[in-house]
Amino acid sequence: MVNDPKKQIRQRIFIIQILLVGCICLLGIKAFDVQIFDFHDLTKKAELSYSKDLIIKGERGQILDRYLNKLGTSIDAPTITANPSQILDPIGTATALSKILNIKPKALEDKLSKNRQFIMIARKVSPTQATQIKALGVQGIYLESDSKRFYPNRNLAAQVIGFTGKDDSGLEGLEFKYNAILEGGIVKIRVKRDGTGRVLDINKKRRIELKGNSIVLTIDKKIQFLSERTLEQTVKAQQAKSGIALVMKPSTGELLAIANYPGFNPNNFAAFNKNTYRNRALTDAFEPGSVIKVFTVAAALEKGFTPKSIFFCEKGKYRIGRFTIHDTHPREWLTLNQIIQFSSNIGTAKIAETIGKKALYNYLTDFGFGQKTFVGCPGETNGTLLAYERWSKIDASAISFGQGLSVSAIQLISGISAIANDGMLMKPMLIKKIISNTGKELQVFAPKQLRQVISPKTAAQIKTMMNMVVQKNGTGTKAAMKGYTVCGKTSTAQKASKLKSGYEKNKYVAAFAGFAPQKNPELAILVVIDEPTKQHYGGQVAAPAFKTILAQSFSYLNIAPEKTKAMIAAVIKGEEH
Amino acid sequence: MNNKLPRTMHPFFSEKTILFPVLLLSCIGIVMVYSASSSISMDDHNNLFYYMQKQALFFCISLCVMFVTASFPYRLYKSFAYIILMTSIGLLIAVLFPALNTKAGGACRWLSLGGITFQPAEFAKLAMILFMGYSLAKKQKMIDQFSIGFFPHALIFGIFAGLIIIQPDFGTIVVMGLICWGMMFIAGVKIFHLLSPLPLVIPIVYFLVFKVEYRLLRILTFMNPWDDPYNTGYQITNSLKAIGSGGLFGKGIGLGMQKMHYLPEPHTDFIFSIIGEELGLLGVLAIFTLYTVILVTGCKIARQADNMFGTLLAAGLTLYIGVQVIINTGVALGVLPTKGLTLPFISYGGTSLVASMAAMGILMNIGASSKNEK
Repeated sequence: MVNDPKKQIRQRIFIIQILLVGCICLLGIKAFDVQIFDFHDLTKKAELSYSKDLIIKGERGQILDRYLNKLGTSIDAPTITANPSQILDPIGTATALSKILNIKPKALEDKLSKNRQFIMIARKVSPTQATQIKALGVQGIYLESDSKRFYPNRNLAAQVIGFTGKDDSGLEGLEFKYNAILEGGIVKIRVKRDGTGRVLDINKKRRIELKGNSIVLTIDKKIQFLSERTLEQTVKAQQAKSGIALVMKPSTGELLAIANYPGFNPNNFAAFNKNTYRNRALTDAFEPGSVIKVFTVAAALEKGFTPKSIFFCEKGKYRIGRFTIHDTHPREWLTLNQIIQFSSNIGTAKIAETIGKKALYNYLTDFGFGQKTFVGCPGETNGTLLAYERWSKIDASAISFGQGLSVSAIQLISGISAIANDGMLMKPMLIKKIISNTGKELQVFAPKQLRQVISPKTAAQIKTMMNMVVQKNGTGTKAAMKGYTVCGKTSTAQKASKLKSGYEKNKYVAAFAGFAPQKNPELAILVVIDEPTKQHYGGQVAAPAFKTILAQSFSYLNIAPEKTKAMIAAVIKGEEH
Repeated sequence: MNNKLPRTMHPFFSEKTILFPVLLLSCIGIVMVYSASSSISMDDHNNLFYYMQKQALFFCISLCVMFVTASFPYRLYKSFAYIILMTSIGLLIAVLFPALNTKAGGACRWLSLGGITFQPAEFAKLAMILFMGYSLAKKQKMIDQFSIGFFPHALIFGIFAGLIIIQPDFGTIVVMGLICWGMMFIAGVKIFHLLSPLPLVIPIVYFLVFKVEYRLLRILTFMNPWDDPYNTGYQITNSLKAIGSGGLFGKGIGLGMQKMHYLPEPHTDFIFSIIGEELGLLGVLAIFTLYTVILVTGCKIARQADNMFGTLLAAGLTLYIGVQVIINTGVALGVLPTKGLTLPFISYGGTSLVASMAAMGILMNIGASSKNEK
């Protein structure tokens, strides 16, 4: 033992000092060991815990109307996953999550109790649910950036746009047809996330960078909307089965509206009948009825007849073989003008006999009947137009006034537009351009002239006849609109029977096709109402709808009445003098 | 020793080997608290700087406190030894009343008095050191007698331990026990006496460890943290991942990943892990060096003090810093089981910073007085 207490104390302090400093040295050595020798191992482990390989799929591109209004878009909808081995309280977590996600707590609890590293809890939840789950702050629950398709205008143009399935790939409509263009890019990346599972990387940004291209349509959201509204009102008022309304710009062939009723909500497509998914304006063919007469008469005019040429109309009854053709308004002699104005079946049958099968067939084919328009929607029909060699005598007559052939609404509006466009048939346009996610134009589609079907002179003569249709004594007076020269043609076709040969007695397709103004038509409109039950004449059923769509569209497009235009022109001329 | 220092030199400025390491460590602390807490701050308070701002304020207060304790002649504490002892025991009792305490993480360690919230256990450590120094110095002549040299001091520790175990704060008891035994050892208490409680302590420790599930878990995982890295081994494995992935140079301040909700309490108990991750081995060794300078200076002051009270007080305060540094970094490096202890001068927390710097002020005063009187 040391005798001097002071010396002993100093020694003991020294021992304590050695112990303290020694411990720190040992800890320093341990730190060296951890940070130098275990560096790679621990770095790997650390990175494993906060990194994860993710397959990032870029957001799907948008479907836009001509003014870039969103028709089909994508919204944030995170996917919820979990790492059950990190969840300390599976029961509590399951209860909390099931409340937010509206799922059964028991099933979730079983899932969360499993000894696994990854489980899927819910795909594409709403932003509100995602915020609530984030707020829970439970360890082991992860939110992964994802999005789901959203159609902000619900039913609007639903059959045109179509919809996507769970995995965001297109199932119907343009979503299906242009899937490859709309689809986002896919990359596999390593992301970092924090202890609560939030991804720290710019995952969201990457998804936007990878976003697919967008399609800009020729559709005008407003005109689409007002067409759909008018169509719905008409179908309901007439207690009809369905209806189609098309609005086209004759000078370019751009489709401004493709309305089908009844429709469906693509946000919740499973709740609707599959029949409503079809874009019937393109996929379904129907017997057009008397509207075809304008094309027959056009052929006649091209073949050298004049609007004043007269045909004998057999006082309303005309036998061809064992068939008899009737006229609603029996006449003896009618000019070409009157044949259109009164919609005489016998008159057009006589024309067909005069110009011959081949000429009629060629003109109808030139107007685009019997062929796809390739407007860009899936499932387009050809319609039926048999080769003229196979026509019987009655076939030629029937086809001349719209029976024995079938057309799609898109073919019909294109044909009518060709007349409006001085005889030049335009390719119907639905896709205006394709733009990249940065707004760069990748592909711009220009209006395409297909062929000059009839001469401008013939077209002008047909226009005059079609204008008479809406005037006093015509069949389509209800389509007339004050201040504008409206041209049109009614159609009331009995539906062919599905069971027996011949026609159903009380089933009609009522239609009205037309355009305005007569000089330089701005819009061509077709309204087709299938099986109206209150009334059945095209002039009564479809013409008022045509007029409503025309009036509302003109008002929206600010197309001044022609008289006003003339007055303004006069005033300007006066000033010049 | 040829003392050339002018007599007017204030103790605060004369003890540079204490002052500079303390200031450096505190400043590193503020920066690292910011780095470690910004993510948590943003989530809890929607303010990146919440904890850093508070820590900077604590630092200013602590600096003032250190200046005051450095100026205050340490011998005068002798007169207050009993008052300080009773006050700190009183505060430890007060914290047990639900009306006065603020619960945090299942333990009641916080006392709210007049708008200030603090941890009485932190001051209990200083109070015990002061009292031990006073008492051991007074009994210097008969220090080798069991009933005078050992038993009363062991009893004082027993009272503190008894009060703190209720909170419960096992880490503080370990720290206080080590300080207490260290001081008794230096004062000259017989080694045999110091070891005498072992037959009594072993069953108590057994009871405390094996009957309280979470402590047992902590100890078991401490041995094999990688067996269950997501539950019981979570803290240790994440701490090791943090330090290990720092390597030699670290990832850089603010660039660590483990503070992103992986490590619990990254700005208090596990701030050393964040330092290891962001500043690397070089940062870790720099910090160890700064602590070593303080500890070596502390021991030097203890040896050079001109009276027994000064020697023991200085030794106790040095142990106070040393033991906490060793335990805190030992936990972070996975060589000691998890305890809820702060890293002196660096960890976020007002009570800890004020107490540590107050202790350093007293140490400076002891050092300066011994120099001045020679």
